[in-house]
Amino acid sequence: MTLAGGGGTARARTRIDVEVAARVIGPVWPLRSFIAVNPLDGLVEIGFDAAVAQAQRWLRARCHPDLGLLRAARHAGRITDDDLRASVLARHPSLGDDEVAAFLSELLERPVARPPAVPRTAAERCDERLGTHLAVTVDAMVATWCAAFVDEGAAAWPMPGRSEGLYRAWRRLAPHDPGLRRLAGRQARAELRHLSEHPEDAIVEALDDLGVPPESYRDELRGQLCRLPGWTGYARWREDWAPPDEPAPRFSLVDLLAVRLVHERLAVRAAGATPRAVVRAIHSQPVGQEPDDHAAVWLDAYERHYRDELLATMARPTPASSIRRPVAQLVCCIDARSEGLRRHLEATGDYETLGFAGFFGMAIRFRPLGATDVRAQCPVLVTPGVSIEERPIPGQERLAERHLARGETAAAAGSAFHAAKTGTGAAFTLAEISGWVTGAAAAARTLRPRRRVRAERRSRPRTAPTVDANADGLGFTLDEQVLYAETALVTMGLTGGFAPLVLLCGHRGRTTNNPHASALDCGACGGNPGGPNARVAAAILNRSEVRSDLRERGVDIPSRTWFVAGEHDTTTDTVEILDRHDIPPGLAGAVAAFERDLAQAARRLAAERVRVLPGGRVRRPAAHAAVRAHDWAEVRPEWGLARNAAFVVGPRAMSVGLDLGCRTFLHSYDPAVDPDGTALETILTAPMVVAQWINAQYYFSTVDPDVFGGGDKTQHNAVGGVGVLLGGGGDLRAGLPTQSVLDGDDPYHEPMRLLTVVQAPLERITAVVDRNDVLRHLFDGGWVTLAARSHPDAPWQLRCGDGTWAQWQPAVRGDDDMEVPV
Amino acid sequence: MTRQSLTPMTKVEVVVTGDDLPALREVFAAAGATGYTSVANVSGVGHHGFHQGRLAFNERDALTLVITVVPDDRAEAVLAGVQLLLADRPGVMFVSDTSVSRPEYFR
Repeated sequence: MTLAGGGGTARARTRIDVEVAARVIGPVWPLRSFIAVNPLDGLVEIGFDAAVAQAQRWLRARCHPDLGLLRAARHAGRITDDDLRASVLARHPSLGDDEVAAFLSELLERPVARPPAVPRTAAERCDERLGTHLAVTVDAMVATWCAAFVDEGAAAWPMPGRSEGLYRAWRRLAPHDPGLRRLAGRQARAELRHLSEHPEDAIVEALDDLGVPPESYRDELRGQLCRLPGWTGYARWREDWAPPDEPAPRFSLVDLLAVRLVHERLAVRAAGATPRAVVRAIHSQPVGQEPDDHAAVWLDAYERHYRDELLATMARPTPASSIRRPVAQLVCCIDARSEGLRRHLEATGDYETLGFAGFFGMAIRFRPLGATDVRAQCPVLVTPGVSIEERPIPGQERLAERHLARGETAAAAGSAFHAAKTGTGAAFTLAEISGWVTGAAAAARTLRPRRRVRAERRSRPRTAPTVDANADGLGFTLDEQVLYAETALVTMGLTGGFAPLVLLCGHRGRTTNNPHASALDCGACGGNPGGPNARVAAAILNRSEVRSDLRERGVDIPSRTWFVAGEHDTTTDTVEILDRHDIPPGLAGAVAAFERDLAQAARRLAAERVRVLPGGRVRRPAAHAAVRAHDWAEVRPEWGLARNAAFVVGPRAMSVGLDLGCRTFLHSYDPAVDPDGTALETILTAPMVVAQWINAQYYFSTVDPDVFGGGDKTQHNAVGGVGVLLGGGGDLRAGLPTQSVLDGDDPYHEPMRLLTVVQAPLERITAVVDRNDVLRHLFDGGWVTLAARSHPDAPWQLRCGDGTWAQWQPAVRGDDDMEVPV
Repeated sequence: MTRQSLTPMTKVEVVVTGDDLPALREVFAAAGATGYTSVANVSGVGHHGFHQGRLAFNERDALTLVITVVPDDRAEAVLAGVQLLLADRPGVMFVSDTSVSRPEYFR
């Protein structure tokens, strides 16, 4: 129930105060659809420098690479003194030579320090004054309530009243919480029985009681949220990003803050503090954060070196392609891991490759055969509009029933095993009784991975996605199919020159016993395997009615062309052809030859990729990759998107023949078929935004794994299907696990902000950027560097912060590097 | 039906980016609005120039028009919340008097 008038106004104000306070913390997706996201996404509008200043103050985070990494990069030639000098001058153009030298000298000696911790909450201020440990005590208690509340079916006895939200469910139980009685004394029980019904009212009452003046509400709320950034991030996802039919109970920022502030208020009072005096005294102190100029120069130089190398490489003429008519075309996801597959395939024969967001323009809700859950298979920026189910093709219904029955039996056994495992007494005896069976099964899974995968494939019935609109409300109408097909083809610039075979290749990771498994799947498919989208897109593009309508719109797909769906397993580097039963028999030979070359390319990629994995210098890299995928104790099955650095938009001729080291997102684009810039706008506002999120997640997880990272996988405990804890309790850990970005203590990922490179008319790029706030914020706010050229022979231009273009000038490469210890 | 037989209320129209929709919904709920209508992918010209409305694969950064109607005694709460939201976010708000035929839907 809501109240009109003054109560409603105050509550509306509190809601906004909370929303603004939470912007310093990014949303955290649940594990089942974990996707990389910019942890500072809520602050994109204020620019990188201001955003990291906020994060330094409120999250106590390091936001730039540490000096050890930078000195090592300089030692390895990844940053030169010319880069540093150019970066100093870029930030301080008025400095003379002597001043630049003095700046550099200081720069090379001074460490990048973590900023001093300033108390952020009432409990922290009491701790500082009184030597108590109230803040960590409140953290632990609130985190325990959060974990109990969000449980997604793991607990045998769920928390009652969850449909009313965290605050009201907790309010009912709080008077009986022995922990609260220990914290606040028995007298607090009466107070707990009379807490406000509305969480907004409870927040304001607690703030007033703690002596926080209204003008400091947002700061206090922000400080409170920053004590538990993981749970705050999960609340942001639940409020802002979860689908309307999300089954998990509503978990809101307002509820989280109300519960936390009641704890804090009771704890501070019980500690005998005089909060009004403490809070007022502290709030009167100005808290400033000086921008770290040195750290910014280091980072700029680090990025400049990579940028200069990439632009110089792509400025050189690429080897003239001898392919006049490719035997086949491979369309991969823009994912940086696809660059290796494309490069190696092109080296095997007359193949053309293209890059496109791995959902292939098909924003669908997909239910796999026999599954109860439905996956949103599209970027999280889009709401999927069409539902698709996987169903057996005619004649395969009985096989499908048997397959599903086997699955149900296995699921029932798994459920019973899980129940026994989580039972208080049964867990101990279960280990004794079943250990010899489960241990052998686990060993078999690890040692015979390929055999297991082949056996699984053999037992599956033939299926197809319900592409055409049907009476069940599933599928696309013909008009929708034509529209989606045209958008996909025009956006990737594939409107002519079709080969007889076009493989639409989604991708997935394959790992065992890995809560973060979905982080290795396709980000453009919402953290899911991309195979279903490839199947749907291929089916649509093979429809004769669709092709007929496309022809009227100027996209003429020859009748001899056939689209095939596939899936690249990025952990084992294997490519599986999907829906073989759909392929015309006459193309069997061509498909077989294509598969042979794909297998060869994948083996070469596996050899290249495994070599840089710890423990990966082995004689049989492909077999080693397969073992890593199925080893239930493997903490680093693959490096994922580590070292991603650039997003390249343009024809493949820009980069063909270059080894880009699986560091670039490659999006195909043909300016000639996009005169009004619609395709370019789509590419920059969707795939590039997703790439920037990925880039920022890797960046921040590397520069401060303690604040932004997911922690050590060996200590993870999954909680309620929503996230992981380190050990038995505490805050939810957001971000990428340590093993995704670090090799031991040393970063494997090179933390640098995204470089976007576009080949298109500059005026078109400017028009697209200027009419989209999100692009202006990213390019002009220092989150992404934009380099562009109008055509292959034009010099590269860099977009400046004021929206103008300046011709790219690489840092002068000299041999006068200073002698400074590294 | 005559205008005299209708019930006067306040109509609030807000244009925000998709990113701010959840916060706007929170404000409406806290202020006692019983519902709203949203029109996705609106575009137009403002003091910052042309704003793109429709993006093929990004609803979060496209503009949405959200319309709610509330009894006059709840209007202040809605206006206060929206004004706070728009204090440092892009968007505009229009407020006008309106009349409704089924007042019970809005209370």
